[in-house]
Amino acid sequence: MVGMKIAGIIFSPIIGVITGLLLTGAARKMVARVEWRYGPPILQPVIDLIKLFFQRPPSHGKTFDYGLIASLAGSIVLVLFLPVGRLCPLSEGGGLLLITYLILIGPLGMALSGGEGANPYVSIGISRKLILSLGYEVTLLLILLSVMSEYDTISIFNVVRAQSENGWSLFSWPLVIPGLAYLLILPAILGVKPFDVASAPQEISSGPHVEYGGKYLALSKLEGGLSEFIGIALFVNLFLGGWSIPGSLHLPAGVLGVFLGVLVFLAKVAFVFSLNVTVSASFPRLRVEQAVKYLWSWPAFIGLVGLIIVSAL
Amino acid sequence: MLEAILVVAFGGALVSYFLGRWTSRIRDYFALGVWIAILGMTSYLHQIEPKISTFYPGFLGYDLSLRITSLSWLFAVTVAAVSVLVIIYSFRYIKGHEKRNLFYFLLLLVNGGMMGITLSGDLLSFYIFWEIASWSTFLLISFNRGKALPAGLRYVVMSVIGSAAMLVATLSLYSSYGTLALSDLSTHLATAGGGYVIFIFLLFFVSFGVKNAIVPFHTWLPPAHSEAPAPFSAVLSGLLVKMGTYGLILIFYLIAGMKIFLGLGTGIWSFHYIISALAGVTIVVPSFIAVLQDDAKKTLAWSTVGQAGYIVLGVSFGTGLALAAGIFHFLNHAMFKSLLFMSIGTVERKTSTRDLNELGGLVKRTPVLFVVTLVGAAGLIGIPLTNGFFSKWMLYKTLILEGNPFLAFAALVGTWGTVLYSYRLIHNVFFGQLPEKYRDVTRTSFSTYLPMVILSIAIVFFGVFPGFLLGEINVVTTSLGFTPLDVQLWGISSDSGTVNTLNILAALAVVGVMVWYLFRSSAETTEVSQEDSYTAGAPVPQGRFTYTADFYRPLEKIIRPYLKDRIEDFYGMLVGFVGVLSDTVRRIYTGYVGTYVAYILALLAAVLLVQLGWKPW
Repeated sequence: MVGMKIAGIIFSPIIGVITGLLLTGAARKMVARVEWRYGPPILQPVIDLIKLFFQRPPSHGKTFDYGLIASLAGSIVLVLFLPVGRLCPLSEGGGLLLITYLILIGPLGMALSGGEGANPYVSIGISRKLILSLGYEVTLLLILLSVMSEYDTISIFNVVRAQSENGWSLFSWPLVIPGLAYLLILPAILGVKPFDVASAPQEISSGPHVEYGGKYLALSKLEGGLSEFIGIALFVNLFLGGWSIPGSLHLPAGVLGVFLGVLVFLAKVAFVFSLNVTVSASFPRLRVEQAVKYLWSWPAFIGLVGLIIVSAL
Repeated sequence: MLEAILVVAFGGALVSYFLGRWTSRIRDYFALGVWIAILGMTSYLHQIEPKISTFYPGFLGYDLSLRITSLSWLFAVTVAAVSVLVIIYSFRYIKGHEKRNLFYFLLLLVNGGMMGITLSGDLLSFYIFWEIASWSTFLLISFNRGKALPAGLRYVVMSVIGSAAMLVATLSLYSSYGTLALSDLSTHLATAGGGYVIFIFLLFFVSFGVKNAIVPFHTWLPPAHSEAPAPFSAVLSGLLVKMGTYGLILIFYLIAGMKIFLGLGTGIWSFHYIISALAGVTIVVPSFIAVLQDDAKKTLAWSTVGQAGYIVLGVSFGTGLALAAGIFHFLNHAMFKSLLFMSIGTVERKTSTRDLNELGGLVKRTPVLFVVTLVGAAGLIGIPLTNGFFSKWMLYKTLILEGNPFLAFAALVGTWGTVLYSYRLIHNVFFGQLPEKYRDVTRTSFSTYLPMVILSIAIVFFGVFPGFLLGEINVVTTSLGFTPLDVQLWGISSDSGTVNTLNILAALAVVGVMVWYLFRSSAETTEVSQEDSYTAGAPVPQGRFTYTADFYRPLEKIIRPYLKDRIEDFYGMLVGFVGVLSDTVRRIYTGYVGTYVAYILALLAAVLLVQLGWKPW
């Protein structure tokens, strides 16, 4: 058990980082295919990353450096508290409430770092990011509360385990309602089109990332990939049963089972991600107030109905 | 010992006033010495057996007494500790102001009054100390004159209403039971009827609700907090407002007791649930009103109202974990909000503005101030490893597991309001380009930094080791009849989910060092000036190349219509109505002798008419 814990501590951040990078690569490829282009190789983000670490970037000061370091460190720590397949080193402790707070460190660290960059594009990007976050958090909190009330626990680990016994939340009554709401806000959580208001490359020059070059850009790309992974992993854990396979199939025990569990989990992550890429490839960007108006209309309404039904039953 | 504390507190206030007429330096150190002595004496009383001592026999035929319990000790020691820090902070802040002696006198008087409130053994001495604190607060709020005068007046009107409610409740209790001693009242109230208990509770709730700024009694707080001198804003927000919390715990749990308090009504129509719902409103609406403020201190003031909501929610929800969370959040709030008021006060003193649209770029000039403000804001948001996280986590946990997801939703959404205004506060004061007029802002003195640094260390320390405070709080909640919590140094262990702060700390430290190493070992960086930034090739404007004004404009357009303070409007209408009424009454006195003669004649005629037997025809 201790061995598995150590393995989890070592491997789950690595899996998170690599998956995040590969997903961004795959997304570029998929969008290119939708647009009838050939697209870059899937490994392009990794190649870029290596290149960036060897460039000599400008720095705007101490907060500029340490904010970014804190941001990436916060996101990696968050992965330790998320079940990645059956690797769940620290996820018994704190649970979903801790995750809702740990998830703040990444964006806030990035915001502090960018803030010292003294560039209005950064500030506009952060302002939009915070407004958009408020937009989807209202619904996300309703969803999380529905899940926690339904399973009567605050531990994400218990939620995943309960699903491996009773079937996935997304296909069970009444959690299907918050599940639908989650699907509606997932593109906003990931910050892909039509909700890429915070980065908006053509409009505010990538927003918070505008002052980054070299290793700063590399670290922020790592953080970006990781936060996409986290956003989807949370959905997979809460609604698609984490590592569990539907039906009467069961994973074998032991190391092989852990390995297969991670694979099943990653397959689900990749599937959900590709759904979002399809959405992203087909819609133009919204303005931030349009995005908030959307997020506070149907998704929030469905989330509220879900919470009312869950707490009434 | 208890009498000695109060004698030192009030005597010290008086002596420091007269010392100040002689020399200001000795006055400063004397005031500090007094409160260090009080802090020492109060800490010496740690975990003492609850005891009662009469300090003034026969006040109007009634004995006034003092009393210490674990609850009052916790509040008293917080008052003493924050007072010491605020006095150190005042050294530099108040220099150059007029009437410094009066400031010290009143500040020490307020703090002494709060010590008296926490240590009172009966409701009459509670009321006396309450009034001492309230009235000196009024004078301190309007200390700066100008805009501060109406703010103080507004405070005093609401405060008088609260005091009157408390006096009515106190007199009613005395006429019913013939005693006001806290220990005796609890036995009497146990046999009282439900209607009478609700009557008493409501009166006290008005009184403490005004002080604690619970919606709908909150309207005095934002102007008062923003207009008061900064050291006093820290006291006001961190301590004085929370005397209302102390009063609520006192009346609900100590005098009435948990059984009576939680037994009034059933389901969502029970007394404590209605207060919890009010607290939920108090969290959400003010937290988002704070987002819309342009004045840094007003943002913090509205934030105080919102955070008071968390504390009251914890106190009124009625589980042991919730009460512990409420008390813990009170302690945390005293730390981070005092810190934030001090740091914004320093910014205001350095730049002579607190308009968030004017400031910017100060991180380059005052890095220490930036770090402590950041820690304070992190505590306010509740970032893990700061103290605010743990108290909020406890509150959410009990709300969810007790089946109240909607209250939990209110509390969690309020946190997002907190994130928005805290970030804006940090960003607009410290980030962006440094304007030309702030180029020569100097670092501030040691005595200004010291309290802020101490508070920020405390915020992180109690965030990593919440067990130190939770141990004390556990004694309090256990003494009020709740089952003890399984407190560890790193948090609370329980079957239904634990959070281990040491795990988070270890993970963050190891990962942080690894990322830092990766950062260090890759290519070197070159430091560039603030003008060297990306503008797509256009020249960078000097000084005001910053996005601060209307920071959340797209959001504001959506939420502002819903966040009108309707209660404020209602009070405004009330004031207008009273004004019209008084004006009408005033018109009787025209000032002409002829009119008065006419009144007299009319009256005589009426009297004659009645005398004749009401038979005019």
